Amino acid sequence: MGTTSIWLAGVGGQGLVLTTRILTGVAFREGWDVKATDVVGLAQRGGKVWGTVRFGTKVHSPLISRGQGDFLLSFEDLEGLRWMEFLKPAATIIMGRDVIFPNRVLLEKEEYPDNVVSQFRAQGFRVTALPTKTMAKELGNARLANTILLGNLSRHLSWQLESWEDVISQNVPPKTIEGNLKAFAQGRKLVFPGESPPEDRG
Amino acid sequence: MSKTAVMSVNQAIARGFWEAGGRVATSYPGSPTVQIMESLLDYPDMTSRWAINEKVALEVAIGASIAGARSLVSMKHVGVNIAADPLMTFTQVETVGGFVLVVGDDPGLSSSQNEQDTRFFTRFANIPLLEPSTAQEAKDYVDEALVISEQWGTPVIIRLTSTLCHSQGVVQLGQRRDEPVEGFNEDQARFCMLPPYSRDQQHFMQQRMAALRELSEVSPLQQYEESSNLRCLIITSGISYQHLQELGADVSILKLGMSYPLPVQRIGELAALHQQVIVLEELMPFVEDELKAAGLAVEGKRYFSFTGELTPDDIRTGLIQAGVIPSALTSAAEDSHVVGRTPILCAGCPHRPIFHILKQAQAVVIGDIGCYSLGILEPFEVLKTNLSMGASLGMIQGVALAQRMAGNVKPLVATIGDGTFFHSGLSGLADLVNTRENITLLILDNRTTAMTGGQMTPTTRDFVKDEDLTGINLPELLRAFGVEDVQVVNQFHYDKTRRIIVSAMEHQGLSVIIATRPCALNFKLRYPHYYVDSDLCISCRQCIAVNCPPISMRAEAGTEEKRSFIDPDMCVGCSVCSQVCPVKAIKSSRSQEV
Ligand SMILES: Cc1ncc(C[n+]2csc(CCOP(=O)(O)OP(=O)(O)O)c2C)c(N)n1
Ligand code: SF4
Ligand code: SF4
Ligand code: SF4
Repeated sequence: MGTTSIWLAGVGGQGLVLTTRILTGVAFREGWDVKATDVVGLAQRGGKVWGTVRFGTKVHSPLISRGQGDFLLSFEDLEGLRWMEFLKPAATIIMGRDVIFPNRVLLEKEEYPDNVVSQFRAQGFRVTALPTKTMAKELGNARLANTILLGNLSRHLSWQLESWEDVISQNVPPKTIEGNLKAFAQGRKLVFPGESPPEDRG
Repeated sequence: MSKTAVMSVNQAIARGFWEAGGRVATSYPGSPTVQIMESLLDYPDMTSRWAINEKVALEVAIGASIAGARSLVSMKHVGVNIAADPLMTFTQVETVGGFVLVVGDDPGLSSSQNEQDTRFFTRFANIPLLEPSTAQEAKDYVDEALVISEQWGTPVIIRLTSTLCHSQGVVQLGQRRDEPVEGFNEDQARFCMLPPYSRDQQHFMQQRMAALRELSEVSPLQQYEESSNLRCLIITSGISYQHLQELGADVSILKLGMSYPLPVQRIGELAALHQQVIVLEELMPFVEDELKAAGLAVEGKRYFSFTGELTPDDIRTGLIQAGVIPSALTSAAEDSHVVGRTPILCAGCPHRPIFHILKQAQAVVIGDIGCYSLGILEPFEVLKTNLSMGASLGMIQGVALAQRMAGNVKPLVATIGDGTFFHSGLSGLADLVNTRENITLLILDNRTTAMTGGQMTPTTRDFVKDEDLTGINLPELLRAFGVEDVQVVNQFHYDKTRRIIVSAMEHQGLSVIIATRPCALNFKLRYPHYYVDSDLCISCRQCIAVNCPPISMRAEAGTEEKRSFIDPDMCVGCSVCSQVCPVKAIKSSRSQEV
């Protein structure tokens, strides 16, 4: 099989590193060669973070070339937008709706874009935008947002449910396993008519 | 089938050391290699620890090596500068237990102050260099390095780069081998590096390098793949090799696993078979220049930048330019302007009130390196210099002297964190104690090395009393150094702290202020959140100038008028914004509840 490339984008503190690790672990468990990376840098202090997961029969580079990404998992609207040029035409974007103002927006020197979903659509990407933050809170733990996203991504990958559940259980804090599995199941179920978003400000 | 696992290159280095019978591992934290020690700490049967700085880390590993233990020390590229003094002389010593120094370079400066290329140290210090390109190789090369070290009595450097350090791949797991420790066999000729002994060691080193050159010519670490057309040979190493493979170009490739000393003869032979030879290397033309000096017609930096990381896209562009691959149409989405995202101090960060006060006081601040380097960025912009760890304490003396000569006598302030102070600030302070200039030193004692992920400092132990290690009491230490004017503040008492800083800035000579509040992130400090009473808010934006992630101006529903708003999920209740609001519009949710 050729290589499938997934780009993950978010802000420091959103748990992107753990999500990358889970995704990498499931790909490996499903028998693929896999390469991944996450770029943290000064991200602990609210900077941008991004990661990649690439799997296939034989994968060399952990990095994705421009125009080569198959999927984008966006943890924060603006951060999703930032990496658009790395996606294939008609790539699939799964967004967990969240807005975290960057410094220049806090300081009123720049505006936060209010049309992220329509910008994605205008480029011909297939977008699923999920209110993961609200959903996670309803499940009782804001940290579950990323697992809901993973659940939705799992609809597009022909991997066994068991692999997902095992790897998630091995990687999250023991007390949160049940919540995470529930969140994953919710994300996996979610399908919107024509994959259109339930709430779009754009 | 043997067991496999997915791990990062950093984790694979740790695993490799454990499997190879490693005994003593040391490190000083710095991106991109922090995770090596974090993983080492999880392995049994060996001693792994953080040191106070890279020099001490290296010295501990040297001591363990000469007493017969397999040793590893890891650090970021600039750490080698700190450790360079012992390293340059240790390389003359014939090592006993295998000794490997793992260094993380940072092409692209993703979290560093410079982009220096560690490969030059290997030539400078007569040390062989290994460069893995995957997690599997990282694990294997640690073993190779220890074997080379013991066989030729040499330290070995393994060089990694940022993207490589964090890249993950599949690794075959092995068992740990037992490598017994001999203990220290006294041998002055071997370990006392003064003439006449060190004179002899020059010859030892020269012979060692000659032997290593021969090894490099035949080593299986140098992998050659031949193309059918023998048109172009690309010489590369590290992560660049993996990126190159991804392009699937029809070229011969010599992948250097050992890139110093170079297998010059073999490269000459391979070059003769090809029409074009290109060196693909990140940063400086280290390999290219050496091959040119050997009289080979090679190209490299003509096509690839000397700065920044070389991504698969950069490599493709360079090879198209070199005529090696045809230009390809890429159909990527257009690059549109997306608002940047710079790092920002966490909600509740103890550095925030200090910067706010220094800005109000229009202080001239000589900065240092840590989370508080963010005081360089808007909106504070109060730090006027940033160089290397600990440099502020020496630099401030020089700035004060020259300012006096320029007739420009103003109070000067330095900010330094506890981590940086103990790493390399103590000697600067000892020299500063008797200054007659007006210098105020703020030690931002957040009880941790926050920037690199929250490793302990001597004041962590003083703060977390249940640790079984003794800490260092900073005020006592300063008084023992002879500093007379020492003040200790809780910087979340904004007005009091401001008065103390302002009066220290008026005091001639050295004043030291220790700001004692701990790092909010690493100690998970969280109190009931604050909120804006929008009936009281006059939209003056004083709270915005405090620059805390939860605070922004938002338009109220149905109006144009913006009021301050605090995101209750993000606020950790440090109270600073409420103390700067002129109309007391920011209130604690604690008082709301009662
Ligand atoms: C020689 C060297 N080693 C390591 C680093 C990586 N590094 C950057 S800041 C820092 C220490 C920060 O600790 P501290 O001074 O306590 O400030 P904090 O981040 O806690 O505010 C380190 C180790 C470096 N820049 N230079
Ligand atoms: S990690 Fe700690 S010291 Fe660094 S910005 Fe966050 S709260 Fe401040
Ligand atoms: S400082 Fe107070 S009055 Fe001024 S904008 Fe902030 S909340 Fe409103
Ligand atoms: S109280 Fe104010 S300054 Fe402190 S964390 Fe909350 S919003 Fe930030």
